[in-house]
Amino acid sequence: MMKGAADRISHHPKWKKVAYGGMQQGYDDNYTDESFLEAMVMNANVVKRDLFKVMQDSVSISQYLCIVTLVISVWIHTLGSVIDETSLLKLDVGLLALGFSVLLLTTSQLSQQLLSRYLLNISFFISGLYILAPVYHTLTRSISSDSIYALTVSLLVVHLFLHDYSGSTIRPPGALNNPTLASNISLNASIVASVLVASRLPSRHHVFAIMFFSLQIFLFAPLITFCIKKYSFKLHMWFSFALMIMTLSVVFQLHRMLFVLLLGLLVFVSVVCPYWLIRMQEYKFEINGPWDEAKLCFDITE
Amino acid sequence: MDKRRRHRILMVSDFFYPNFGGVENHIYYLSQCLLKLGHKVVVVTHAYGKRSGVRYMTGGLKVYYVPWRPFIMQNTLPTFYLTLPILRNIIVREKITVVHGHQAFSTLCHEALMHARTMGYKVVFTDHSLYGFADVGSIHMNKVLQFTLADVDQAICVSHTSKENTVLRSGILPEKVFVIPNAVDTAMFTPAPNRLSCDEIVIVVISRLVYRKGADLLVEVIPEVCRLFSNVRFIVGGDGPKRVRLEEMREKYSLQDRVDMLGAVPHAQVRSVLISGHIFLNSSLTEAFCIAILEAASCGLLTVSTRVGGVPEVLPDDMIVLAEPAPGDMVWAIRKAIFMLPSIDPHVMHLHMKSLYSWHDVAKRTEIVYDRALQSSEKNLLQRLPRYLKCGAWAGKLFCLVMIVNFLLLRLLALWQPVESIEEVPDMLSVQHQDEVMEHDFS
Repeated sequence: MMKGAADRISHHPKWKKVAYGGMQQGYDDNYTDESFLEAMVMNANVVKRDLFKVMQDSVSISQYLCIVTLVISVWIHTLGSVIDETSLLKLDVGLLALGFSVLLLTTSQLSQQLLSRYLLNISFFISGLYILAPVYHTLTRSISSDSIYALTVSLLVVHLFLHDYSGSTIRPPGALNNPTLASNISLNASIVASVLVASRLPSRHHVFAIMFFSLQIFLFAPLITFCIKKYSFKLHMWFSFALMIMTLSVVFQLHRMLFVLLLGLLVFVSVVCPYWLIRMQEYKFEINGPWDEAKLCFDITE
Repeated sequence: MDKRRRHRILMVSDFFYPNFGGVENHIYYLSQCLLKLGHKVVVVTHAYGKRSGVRYMTGGLKVYYVPWRPFIMQNTLPTFYLTLPILRNIIVREKITVVHGHQAFSTLCHEALMHARTMGYKVVFTDHSLYGFADVGSIHMNKVLQFTLADVDQAICVSHTSKENTVLRSGILPEKVFVIPNAVDTAMFTPAPNRLSCDEIVIVVISRLVYRKGADLLVEVIPEVCRLFSNVRFIVGGDGPKRVRLEEMREKYSLQDRVDMLGAVPHAQVRSVLISGHIFLNSSLTEAFCIAILEAASCGLLTVSTRVGGVPEVLPDDMIVLAEPAPGDMVWAIRKAIFMLPSIDPHVMHLHMKSLYSWHDVAKRTEIVYDRALQSSEKNLLQRLPRYLKCGAWAGKLFCLVMIVNFLLLRLLALWQPVESIEEVPDMLSVQHQDEVMEHDFS
């Protein structure tokens, strides 16, 4: 046996990982060398996640869910004629002032020119809404209410599903990422949902007030929360908790079942999902090797 | 005693003549060499335009152009069971013993291998490309490959890197995979009779101008090389979506007299383009095995290529200069190649290539694979089903269901069109083999 092995080593050259030269002497074509899969790299780019950090990051999602719930509760109250148009207008102006003050306090890069441009845009926005309010008022008069509400609910679900929870569709000063297609679709879905709800209201002033309120929240709330988060993480956490408590109390007074649903959803998003994500990370199997398509190290400028 | 077994091989793929490409050429040349070795080869593919029905090619190679239309990227529509009647008919009629499928991307190949296994024939699969693992298309493709390779007798890959990739993608045992590379027709690709002068160095690029073949790298590399070396010219053959970028680059750097764009080069004229150059540049981002490099080396050109996939295995170090797929590295490699040029003799390189690669060698090695495939034991449906269950928790059961339905359909077909009613094709031996048979009878 030993002599045979020695013979083999002395007669046949070492196996080489080459394709030329025909069949390698002493080796079959299906010979698998010890160096097989030597160059394979597993899980090179996988980030190790920490449960507490993931839970903290999930607060952004719960915070936005609460904001949307507040908007929906204002809609329900307005449709049920609990809030009238003057109080709505006061709410709108108050929110606008609050938003601007937060922006001024948290952003360091805000120059006088930028601020005046923002104010100009806001005034265009308000006058545009006021002029178009009669159009929205009679937009869906011929469509039945349940179709409208069903459509609104589905659009809001699409909005929440595709929303960009880490950034903001409207670029704040100092942001690096461009908005993606999904975040634009979600923004459009929320705007259309606001228009549909506004068209069910009794008077033009109602329509203007509710449109102003909804669009203000949907367009600028992500921007404001992004600025708060960038400014101070602790402030962001306190703000989110306060918002959650406020939302839960509002929904509690509105409807018991919705309260239970909202509470369940918040617990699911904040606790169950991070734990599930960490558990699933064990199954991650990323394979890299010499067979990968090469990545270009430069940007292709068209 | 004549130990040579005569195989009757059915080559199945969506990719065949009149298309020209790596897989198509491979099937054609392999079939021709197997015919010369005395085996019977039949090819099945889908119809190309008006070319439908049975055709005979050189050497008596019978090709069935089955009348299905390709629906996306040259592939037939994947109907799982509708291909069973015609394939069963062809296999029984031609008295096939081994079914050999080519290319993981071909739906016809997967369906044919599935039906062949159900009918109990031996099955061999050849994979010609590399695929990733991460994007949706690759995940789907790998699952289909896992299904096909769960029950294949032997598999062939064209390079060692391709073998690693196939084993990882499909979970097949490495011992079942044979590495048999492609080859090149050295008689067709001969160098120029007179050696070109080295005053002006010509670099040839022939490839489809798409992202995958590194056309963007060319856009970065060509101006830099033209700037560094004033006596270098480029010839770019081929067409594709990235041609616009190359034309723009030509305009931007005013290289109209130094870069020739030839457009799409027909396969018959590739040699004449190659012999007008000194260096062949290949910038692809992924290659399982690059036949273009072999053609260039056979014509006596020194190759500069990116170090991707199976390319490092293809040529010995004195015929190729490898570079990372980055513009700076490629320019350095071209510089090294230009300095190596005076010591390169095209005719010596051509003779060396003749000893390194030959289709007859590939056919002999493939014959060994067929012999090995025929030695594997016969298993009935119940013994084969556990192999599919290993493919995954849900997928395994789905695949088992697919195979059971296929089996039932086969039984139904056997009742409707029994095997005895299918007329078998008589063997037509070529003249060379008729003489051998007569000699054998008399001895």
